[in-house]
Amino acid sequence: MSIYIVQLLTGVAYGMLYFMIAAGLTIILGVMNVVNLAHGAFFLLGTYFAFTFMSLHLNFWLALLLAVIVTAILGIIIEKLLINKLYGKELEQVLLTFGLTFVIADCAKWIWGTEMQTIAVPELLNSSITIGEMVFPAYRLFVVLVGCILAVILWYLESRTRVGAIIRAGVDDRAMVAALGINVRLVFTGVFAFGAGLAGLSGVLGGPLIGMYTGMDSDILVTSLIVVVIGGLGSWKGSFVGAILIGLIETLGKIWFPSLSMLIVFLLMVVVLMIRPQGLYGKVVSQ
Amino acid sequence: MTLLKVDNISKSFNTLQVLQNVTLDVQPGERHVIIGPNGAGKTTLFNCITGQLPLNSGAVFLEDVEISKLPPNKLVHLGMARTFQKNNLFGDLTVKENLHLALTALKPYRYQLFKPLSNYSDLKKETEELIEQWQISDRQNVKVDNLSYGEQRLLEVLLALASKPKILLLDEPTSGMSPAETAQTSEMIQKLPRSVALLVIEHDMDVVFAIADRITVIHHGEVILSGTPEEVRNDDTVRQIYFGGGAKAHA
Amino acid sequence: MKNNLFIILILIISVSGLPFLLSGFGVDLATEIYIMAIFAMSLGLLMGFAGMVSLGHAAFFAIGAYTVAILGQFINNVYILILSAIIIAGLIALLTGSLFIRTSNFYFLMITLAFGQLLYALAWQLENWTGGADGMRVSATLDFGFGEIASPLAIYYLMGIAFIFVYILLKLFVNSPAGRIIKGIMENPSRMAALGYEVRVYKLLVYSLAGALAGFAGSLYGYFNMFVSPDLTYWKFSGEVMIMVIFGGVGTLIGPVLGAGLFIILQNFISSYTERWQLILGAILVLLVLVGKGGIIHWFGYFKEKFIIRKGTKNVETSKPIEEEREVIT
Repeated sequence: MSIYIVQLLTGVAYGMLYFMIAAGLTIILGVMNVVNLAHGAFFLLGTYFAFTFMSLHLNFWLALLLAVIVTAILGIIIEKLLINKLYGKELEQVLLTFGLTFVIADCAKWIWGTEMQTIAVPELLNSSITIGEMVFPAYRLFVVLVGCILAVILWYLESRTRVGAIIRAGVDDRAMVAALGINVRLVFTGVFAFGAGLAGLSGVLGGPLIGMYTGMDSDILVTSLIVVVIGGLGSWKGSFVGAILIGLIETLGKIWFPSLSMLIVFLLMVVVLMIRPQGLYGKVVSQ
Repeated sequence: MTLLKVDNISKSFNTLQVLQNVTLDVQPGERHVIIGPNGAGKTTLFNCITGQLPLNSGAVFLEDVEISKLPPNKLVHLGMARTFQKNNLFGDLTVKENLHLALTALKPYRYQLFKPLSNYSDLKKETEELIEQWQISDRQNVKVDNLSYGEQRLLEVLLALASKPKILLLDEPTSGMSPAETAQTSEMIQKLPRSVALLVIEHDMDVVFAIADRITVIHHGEVILSGTPEEVRNDDTVRQIYFGGGAKAHA
Repeated sequence: MKNNLFIILILIISVSGLPFLLSGFGVDLATEIYIMAIFAMSLGLLMGFAGMVSLGHAAFFAIGAYTVAILGQFINNVYILILSAIIIAGLIALLTGSLFIRTSNFYFLMITLAFGQLLYALAWQLENWTGGADGMRVSATLDFGFGEIASPLAIYYLMGIAFIFVYILLKLFVNSPAGRIIKGIMENPSRMAALGYEVRVYKLLVYSLAGALAGFAGSLYGYFNMFVSPDLTYWKFSGEVMIMVIFGGVGTLIGPVLGAGLFIILQNFISSYTERWQLILGAILVLLVLVGKGGIIHWFGYFKEKFIIRKGTKNVETSKPIEEEREVIT
């Protein structure tokens, strides 16, 4: 029994990583209407940036901070330089971000090689907490904590601040935001950079758990897109619930039915879409 | 036999009651016009009759067959067609191609996969008949987006007529038209054969009285009167709503 | 109609004449292009004529290829194998499609993507059947009853014929009643329902047809490549076909063909010079998106407008490029 409880923690920890990346993805989709296929690449870059900073003898926390900032800046550059040119052309945006996944993934291969690498768990958290027979690695508890804090911050941002109000309005009615005299371009750039930064954060925190390997960006992208669909477009709450659900299914699924976890995830998505086409917490958008 | 019977239907959106116990009927060949101020629930009534919206209660019968739960496409095959308040056409296609699409809907070969559409001579013939009958041969190859607004409204009706319905529901056929176009459309509606019954939503009182055999007045989602044009013209409540009492008259 | 015959004639002439101009490598490349052209046309049908943007179409291609690989171990009959590939892919498209078509736009894109990735995971995990990550060799031989077809040139002509056959088939389809109706549904589904059409039946029909055709292309690929691997159903492969369709021109049949040709030539050309071909191809893709004028096929229209129309000989309206951009999300 106790092994399952420990695995439960692992599942929730993975769920939190998915939540961090899906939160950015869902808001980029909800506000900007961009299916950002390059979002997994930001995750990948976050991990590799932190890896590089740490190999320059910076400590984990500084590397984390710098990696998130650099990823967010890269997000700003990509939004300003490329995505900016294509608002309103959804198909072209899909293609553009698809092209970016090739560019970024191949650059990563070029710079960092194809060998599997990991980031060391920071010393502060390199311990475990024992309750009875159960051993909980402190780092996983930490990831869960960060995820929960992020959820609270996002909830506060969404419901209590002006920025949140603008973003909510953007999800409901994009034209409305423009009509209110708000600088939509700025909002878009901000949202995109914020999403990229979150993906970077997820990547760094995931480093000690998942490591980094070629193709990781695709795996993580597909999973977080499924989280977004299950949770509902533009809903942070939905991403939170969906991400934990997927994290648990993947982790527990690997124990019980090793070859079927993807199938379960897929079936869950199909069932959700058939019963609630707008996702668990998505708004019904009239055609 | 009553052609269309709307029996005590109600419809609400969340807490907003849009239709309340609406009952009306249409006899074969009859011209039945529904009037009422904006927001009275007229288009919702149409959407409920034609299966676009589910009912909260009540039922709709077409020739004594209950149709309340049937989707719009089934109703066409039972002999009911409708037009839309806003033009709802295929803008990229020509007039002729629009008519082709409408006419093919009832053909057994609508599931034919590999034989060119242009090979079906009956389709060609029926299209030409419609074009000739409504004198639009000079416009038949024009892309619908390039038609004038009035022409598009006419095509809207022709698409519905293509299925040779027993009953045709026209949702504000003259909305947005110039006076000249309105007169033309009124004339066209009067020319429609009596083999098709009409249920029409209309605001223009000249058109209403020109075409109506019977008028039903809806106000706040309820039928307040149903009768001959004379009865409606002389009814005090209707006058209150429409022609006096500070209410805005729709002309 | 005359125009169509003209295009078909050009296709026949180029398919039969090309080997005289190409090296052995070129013939192989052209063979691959024909197979990918069939695949791209099937997605082009879905995207450009039904407005259904799938990011998991490679699933059906892979189903076709794996059918030949797996069944081919037991039955070495090209007719049975290709037919099975078409039928199995079509049936799976019919079954999954009956669920998928209830969603639209972004959700359709996502659910098809997830389905492709599901098959990808299965191809990895069901090692006993699929060979897992290592893939598997195709042991079936191309023998139509008059000796094995093994020479590259013979395979080239076989795939060329298959390609022209599918092109004609689809040309007929898009002009048939069902094809026209499907296009009407793409433009205005609610009006089509009000006219009396079963919108879902038609969507399912075109989705199954596209799936079956992708399965056909996949089965040919199995024979051509003699090796299948999970990569055939990876989402990036689906994305690449989408690129072919969009860069060739959405809303036309010949567009995806040109897109497939350009993409494969470019991919081979770049990868023969550098290991970093993904980087360069990705960058070219980004550039093309930014400057593109809605697909190669529309460039012709664009040039015509720019250079020929200026001389004032033709009516602008007729040579205007057809814009077929559909919204992925609303």
